[in-house]
Amino acid sequence: MLQIKDLSKSFDQNEVLKHISLTIPAHQVVAVIGPSGSGKSTFLRCLNGLETISGGSVTVNNHLLQATDSKKVRQKTIHAIRQDTGMVFQQFNLYPHKTVIENVMEALVVVKKQSKEQAKKMASALLKRVGLQEKEDAYPSRLSGGQQQRVAIARALAMEPKIMLFDEPTSALDPELVGEVLQVMKELAEEGMTMVIVTHEMKFARDVADRILFMADGQIVEDAEPKVFFTHPSTERAQKFLEKVNEF
Amino acid sequence: MDIVIDNLPFLLKGAYYTLLITVVSMFFGLIIGLITAIARIKGNRFFRGIAKIYVSIIRGTPPLVQIVIVYYGLVDYGVELDALTAAYIALSINIGAYVSEAFRGAIQSVPSGQTEAALATGMTEAQAMRRIVIPQAIRYAIPPLGNTFVGMLKETSLVSVIAVTELMRSAQLLVAQYYVYMPFYLAIGLMYWIMSTVFTFILNKIEKRLSVY
Repeated sequence: MLQIKDLSKSFDQNEVLKHISLTIPAHQVVAVIGPSGSGKSTFLRCLNGLETISGGSVTVNNHLLQATDSKKVRQKTIHAIRQDTGMVFQQFNLYPHKTVIENVMEALVVVKKQSKEQAKKMASALLKRVGLQEKEDAYPSRLSGGQQQRVAIARALAMEPKIMLFDEPTSALDPELVGEVLQVMKELAEEGMTMVIVTHEMKFARDVADRILFMADGQIVEDAEPKVFFTHPSTERAQKFLEKVNEF
Repeated sequence: MDIVIDNLPFLLKGAYYTLLITVVSMFFGLIIGLITAIARIKGNRFFRGIAKIYVSIIRGTPPLVQIVIVYYGLVDYGVELDALTAAYIALSINIGAYVSEAFRGAIQSVPSGQTEAALATGMTEAQAMRRIVIPQAIRYAIPPLGNTFVGMLKETSLVSVIAVTELMRSAQLLVAQYYVYMPFYLAIGLMYWIMSTVFTFILNKIEKRLSVY
């Protein structure tokens, strides 16, 4: 489903991602964890072209994106990749000038060229799925953070993506609102969605993910099953990180 | 006072032209300004350069000079415009530069996360701009556009020099006829003030309407 080969990313002289290679099969739920500044978010954003890759290649559902391609080819590939990926952001990024249901319908109408009625039906069903059907006509500013993030998930799901990318989806939420978002993500995982989740929620990563990627200094330092990673981390970096996380 | 009331129809006709010139110039100015703003933010080096030079020239030269160049200057090149057309053209080009600055600021104040979210759902850059960024930017742009608009209303008095009988020139013609100044100039001052106030009021209403979310 997702193949990454020798992926590098630099901002000016600063190398943020260093030659990352890995394969993620369909239906796998991958949690990416690690200290801040380790390149987790940049890694995720390279997967759907929000960051331009500096080296190597990314293949999403048979669309091959190579750093060496011309700008035109890359644009075309990125556009195709984005049709197959959904993304959820730390800051939700809902469209404030559109109601909840319009947020979910927007891409269906603009990108998939569906009729308004068709899009509305689908959006309505998705909002029901994330438990927010009664908020359809509200503006995002009237919603709690947890509700906004659930709308954002519904918006991403509307495009029927093959892969969902989550960029610290609960980091901007008040603690009591984290659970409702994680619950929706858990259900999604159980339905077999392929997911890549950058997160600081260790318990969630342990319970829901099939695989943990531990990143530090722009590299994947550890790649293991949650059970193994959380009980017997093999590198010193990971051991130190987990000690710090578990201090409280 | 009586002298003003007797000539009120003539002055109102002038006010009509002032309003007409303002609205027409603002309309084309908005289009020019939006295109210029997008060229400056999203354009390649060539378009960015052109847009920048345009804004710099307009902002760096007096509107009066711009007006006489369009009306008198172009005659040397065989372009003879009637005065009203020249006023529309000169003022549209003038206001476009100021509008573009208002739009540019507004577009840049829409968080980049909005564009990213739109792109991530598969929209193209142009779709994200049109559907997500610009509708939000318009709201941010309303207060500075309002100032520009009221400024435009007052600036139209400059086209009296090319013999467009708008409010200012109406008063000048009456002064020439009756040899009294104050009543007519006070009267048009009052009329400008009323029009500015009404514009400001309408713009505030629009701003309120747009801030439903």
